[in-house]
Amino acid sequence: MSRRQVIGIVVLAVLLLVGGIVRMLIGRDPNDGGFEFQSPDTSIAWLRFGAVKSALVAGACLGLSGLLLQALLRNPLASPFILGLSAGAGLGSTIATWAITASSAGAIGWLSVAIRSADGVLPGTVGSLAVLIVVYALGRRGGRLDPLTLVLSGTVVATICGALTLLVQSLMPPASRGESWMWFMGQVPELPRADSLWIAVVLLILSFVAGIRNGVALDVASTSDEEAESLGVSLKRLRVGLFVLAGALAAASVALCGPIAFVGFVAPHLSRLLLGARHRALVPASMIAGAAILVWSDAVRQSIDVGSGRLPIGVLTALIGGPVFLLVMRSRRMRSGEWTC
Amino acid sequence: MLTIESISFSYGKRSALSAISAEAGAGRVVALVGRNGSGKSTLLRLIAGLANPNGGAITWRNTALCRLDAILRARQVAYVAQRPGLAIDLTVSQVIELGRFAAQRRDDGALRLSRAIKTLGLESLSERSFHQLSAGEQQRCVVARALVQSDASGLLALDEPFSNLDPGETMRVVDALRERAREGALVVIAMHDLSLVDRVADCVWWLERGTMVGMGAPEEILTPTRLREVFGCEFTRGAQGLTLGGRVA
Repeated sequence: MSRRQVIGIVVLAVLLLVGGIVRMLIGRDPNDGGFEFQSPDTSIAWLRFGAVKSALVAGACLGLSGLLLQALLRNPLASPFILGLSAGAGLGSTIATWAITASSAGAIGWLSVAIRSADGVLPGTVGSLAVLIVVYALGRRGGRLDPLTLVLSGTVVATICGALTLLVQSLMPPASRGESWMWFMGQVPELPRADSLWIAVVLLILSFVAGIRNGVALDVASTSDEEAESLGVSLKRLRVGLFVLAGALAAASVALCGPIAFVGFVAPHLSRLLLGARHRALVPASMIAGAAILVWSDAVRQSIDVGSGRLPIGVLTALIGGPVFLLVMRSRRMRSGEWTC
Repeated sequence: MLTIESISFSYGKRSALSAISAEAGAGRVVALVGRNGSGKSTLLRLIAGLANPNGGAITWRNTALCRLDAILRARQVAYVAQRPGLAIDLTVSQVIELGRFAAQRRDDGALRLSRAIKTLGLESLSERSFHQLSAGEQQRCVVARALVQSDASGLLALDEPFSNLDPGETMRVVDALRERAREGALVVIAMHDLSLVDRVADCVWWLERGTMVGMGAPEEILTPTRLREVFGCEFTRGAQGLTLGGRVA
């Protein structure tokens, strides 16, 4: 690793650490519900630590998923949220929840067993990968992937998935519908489900190892298809393997925190700004950057009271990530067609 | 030895190459010439093992390159595309270093890299971003990457490597490729500049509408009369090779 890469990773790690400490100290005043900044007692500290764990793991999943998508699609605008993977994962999980509800009435019992065993990550992964296949097919123009067509296709497919999710939710009993609505806005749970958390951690470890092992191959894959193949990268194998991991990471983050916008888009760009473009270093950096962004967003969200309660975290990440997305899209290289990650 | 046996290739229903046979040994430079759309780039991709012929076979040292795993193929053949692509921001030396991705031996990587940078005159550009280079500089950069990738006795397939180069840089690349052929490599170049063919190639393969219409030494194949018939331009052959005149009225 170069000096610049080491310094970049240390900067991101410090950012994450400070964000974690700030989140541990920020809380709600139990009397008036307002913002307080002080060391909590044990039970409160445990809840806040739960939120830090959730944000850290979901943020790392989104950061790495975004990096893999941007690298494999050679598209700086790609991310699990923008390409509709998060919406696809949400639809998959919602259908699974609905199936469980329906199966309790004896309709499809065998399906509910399979779904419960995977805690929503499996149907979420199926949903996100199905969306990825559709968006990938729609994003091709003249036999080549067109970056803006890909993003437009992702946006439309995400909207359709969102509509279908609402449709399925309206079929559910009011009680479970209420939970789904909360989840749909994106939330960092203070009491994350242990199985969701562990599945995400295992996926993160697997993806980290795969990302590091294929770091140089990802650099080579950023040339044209023919050049990459001639330099020794089997693109089909690389894409299939890493797309599945990117989809599963998006699904794991959705199972944990719901669909959260733009973290998977901003984290790889922030990492590149600090470390340069080599993927072997960007893999850990994007994970740390994604975690830091979500932990800080959750800390800031805790301190903003919008009257009717705390600000939904998805609002905050979209307010930060949206302008960054527009800046990248309007950049000189993007306009001239010579876009780079 | 590169052996091409009665190959054919089509894009969907459109036939791009048919009944092409040829042979070339190590240590030679072969120029693939022909009009636009005659099938030069397609044949070059097939030679590099990047696509399968629909019929017939192409072998390099008795091995069908298209059947090899990408990494094994990359150890035997290096390919330079007509338009190099790069979606991330790398420096010139980082781009050239990608040529070592498939290498078995990593210990001589730095030496190969510095030699290729020097040979192609890229010393002052090595830490510049690839995207800040002119088209000609980018072209020299990917030729350097191919030199780093291929062994002295390997196969080099280059698609129009001189198209954006000024005369001085063209001769620099010509010298580098001739030197690699002297070391024992087979170099196959698809090219349009017929005035260069005499300087760079030992042998010419002439393609017309996907079939091989001529094969042999440049002075035998590229005669002014024949060139006039095909391209509708006057050519004269002197001591320095072919010179292009005006269009025939």
